Amino acid sequence: MGDALVVRNLSKRFGGLRAVQDLSFSVKENETVALIGPNGAGKTTSFNLITGFHRPDEGSVSAFGREIVGLKPYDICAHGLARTFQVAKPFGAMTVLANVMTGAFLRDKKLEVARARAREAIEFVGLSAKEHTPARDLTTIDQRRLEMARALATEPRLLLLDEVMAGLNPAEIDQAVALVGKLSKRGLTIIIVEHVMRAIMAVARHIVVLDHGQKIAEGSPKEVVANQDVVRAYLGPGYVHVAAPGE
Amino acid sequence: MLEVLAQVVVNGLLIGGIYALVSIGVTLIFGVVKIVNFAQGEFVMIGMYISFFLATYFGIDPLVSLAVSMPVLFIVGMLLQHFLIRRVLGLGDMPQIFLTFALSLLLMNLALMAFTANYRTVHTWYSDEAFHLGEIYVPIAKLVAFVLAMALSGILWVFLQTTDMGKAMRAAAQKPEVAMLMGINPNRVFAVATGVSLALAGAAGSLLMPFYPASPMAGQVFVLMAFVAVVLGTLGNVKGALIASLMMGVAESLGIQFVGADSGLIVVFLMLLLTLAFRPSGLAGGGAR
Amino acid sequence: MRVLRSSGALWLGLLTVVLLVLPLVVTSRFAIDIFIRVLLFAFIGVAWNLIGGYAKQLSLGHAAYFGLGAYTSTILQIDVGISPWIGMLAGGVVAMLASLPIGALCFRLRGPYFAISTIATAQVFMLLFLKFRDFAWGAEGTTIPNLGNAPLMMQFEAKAAYYYIALGLLAIGLAITYRIERSWMGYYLVAIGEDEDAAEAIGVNAMRIKRDIYMISAFLTALAGTFYVQYIYFIDPQTAFNFNISVEAALVSIVGGVGTLWGPVIGTVLLEATSALLQSWLGSSFGGIQLTVYSLILMAVILWRPTGLLSVLAEVYARIVRRGSAQTKKAVLDG
Repeated sequence: MGDALVVRNLSKRFGGLRAVQDLSFSVKENETVALIGPNGAGKTTSFNLITGFHRPDEGSVSAFGREIVGLKPYDICAHGLARTFQVAKPFGAMTVLANVMTGAFLRDKKLEVARARAREAIEFVGLSAKEHTPARDLTTIDQRRLEMARALATEPRLLLLDEVMAGLNPAEIDQAVALVGKLSKRGLTIIIVEHVMRAIMAVARHIVVLDHGQKIAEGSPKEVVANQDVVRAYLGPGYVHVAAPGE
Repeated sequence: MLEVLAQVVVNGLLIGGIYALVSIGVTLIFGVVKIVNFAQGEFVMIGMYISFFLATYFGIDPLVSLAVSMPVLFIVGMLLQHFLIRRVLGLGDMPQIFLTFALSLLLMNLALMAFTANYRTVHTWYSDEAFHLGEIYVPIAKLVAFVLAMALSGILWVFLQTTDMGKAMRAAAQKPEVAMLMGINPNRVFAVATGVSLALAGAAGSLLMPFYPASPMAGQVFVLMAFVAVVLGTLGNVKGALIASLMMGVAESLGIQFVGADSGLIVVFLMLLLTLAFRPSGLAGGGAR
Repeated sequence: MRVLRSSGALWLGLLTVVLLVLPLVVTSRFAIDIFIRVLLFAFIGVAWNLIGGYAKQLSLGHAAYFGLGAYTSTILQIDVGISPWIGMLAGGVVAMLASLPIGALCFRLRGPYFAISTIATAQVFMLLFLKFRDFAWGAEGTTIPNLGNAPLMMQFEAKAAYYYIALGLLAIGLAITYRIERSWMGYYLVAIGEDEDAAEAIGVNAMRIKRDIYMISAFLTALAGTFYVQYIYFIDPQTAFNFNISVEAALVSIVGGVGTLWGPVIGTVLLEATSALLQSWLGSSFGGIQLTVYSLILMAVILWRPTGLLSVLAEVYARIVRRGSAQTKKAVLDG
């Protein structure tokens, strides 16, 4: 399997703040990678850099073999990268179906085709019953589902999910995890930014840990959880402990 | 030639001071409350009429009437924010734009009905006086207006930097969510910001009376200038608005002198278009997007 | 909604018949003049609505295109003898071309600052044409020669003819809006209007879409400009690039319902009817009364129902016709 995404030496400053510093990681095709880190670590900024909403000061991002730094968000989406936003951004005046159709139009401008594809995506996320509900009337969780359906309608190869599990109860987390699993089975490469450990452990094969804009650790879930730097970043120096034999 | 240029620059700076008061008001509201007040010019106009009536019926000098126009408009601003602006916050651009736009139309036309379109002037002992700085002719009324405008701007600056309310306003402008978390009541801050903004507009109106006629449409020119200055000076940036206003006063003056009498406006608009083309976020901004 | 659709077609048919027959039944010149005004400003509102209502790019400078259309056809007519029918199209093209650099500049700003830059643009045109004595008659403007009844030169003795032209323009505007609304472009426009960043994230090239719809809007607005000159036989910069035209273009949609097909029409009917009533009650004695009332209406709409009156009417209709079904179609677009 080739690389879906190769991020090299990505850096971005906002005024005096170094939001992302020299970030490098890669994601293989059909892999599910989690990007984690404490608040302010630069996770969403990384997403913004990758998807073209900010221009990096330095570094390169190569998606499916093509350099995408400098491309506009819509071209990047056309190339196969779709994302959701941390705070959902639905088109409030449109119904769920219309929202998702707007995404589907990227691949085919015909109304019936888009409608059919949109319905598929809506069913996939479980919003079929609310097809004709105006997006502004949806609950927060449904709005997140809508974000995902809309992103899926663009037929991405790589999906970037930004904190889709925030605020969900355990049952809902399980549903969301199942959804991500289904997406992976379809062949999608997925990068998720998450705080919910349970979900991360369940879906991610590989984890990249950020802190203050830099990558501080990378590896399998087991490796990362045991990594002292990671523990220190999240919980502070007091929690770092020496592993007992056999741990 | 040099004297002509110097005269033109002086003229420009003097009127630029008035533009500054109006544009600072606009940028303040925009920075703090995050709306664009299309009616700002009309509050200048109201300030003008207040001073006109005080001067005509009570013989009060316009500069003294600052003590009336400013507080009155401050209160008007707070009421405006409380009753109208608050209702459209967070609803998106359209309601905000058209609310203040409708207000602008309303005030202009109420003034038209109440006062007719006739120009009203106030003639003070210094309206026609000037002194000479070498070859340069400096009208006293305009000079006083400029000095007071700069003084008011300075006071505002100190207010923003040192007082709690001022800092709260700056916090609300830069990081509204954080400001709320720190216990700053946004509505109070917005109300004060709007009040201050309108008070500055009223001050501009009063300062104008000795040398500028009042009419229902008088505010229009100033608000257009103010908007361009706000864009040029970077949205929400008070210092930027001040500097940009002075620049625009000079640019307009240059245009009037060297291109033609009514080309001042064209020059100003050209400045706006050039700014948009090359530096859309203004002088203090970081470039596009 | 299916119930609405078939009865909708019926209503539309009825409306069409009424509109076609109206000038034959109501022959008062005064009344026909009002009808023409309503049709014309509804048309301008429809043109504005494409960019301002659907895509929420609130232009307050559409008078620029109105004036360009008016001047292009007039110049071609007087200097070159070309029929205003062709001049109308030429004016549309000129406006389209002008909208490219204007859009390129103004779309760099969002929200209110976009609005201001459009105001500035229209003002610049007015100032320029006030100065252009050589090829555009400067501040005094010009009248167009009265050729009596000259259909090929868009001049008619019967006022009803102008009525039908205006009606035709409105029909064209509505047809175009209808087609766009129901196509992928319509969805993209609303998406841009709702959340431009989110739209770009799903593949919408916002700049290009805005540019394209702006061109269409400019083209249509210019047609109205030509018509107006032919109707009042006069043109000057103050009239052609008048800020009030820009205001009304936006106002009728906002009052009637932004981003809807019939919104501008409803808004125009309401505002012009109010205006006509005011004029007949008060005459011209109160200089600012018309705009005062307009602004009060606008403020009331903004504070009470920002999406415009159409949604109110739709709700009332729904409540009457489909009692029990409270959930009315507030959404602009239903998949």
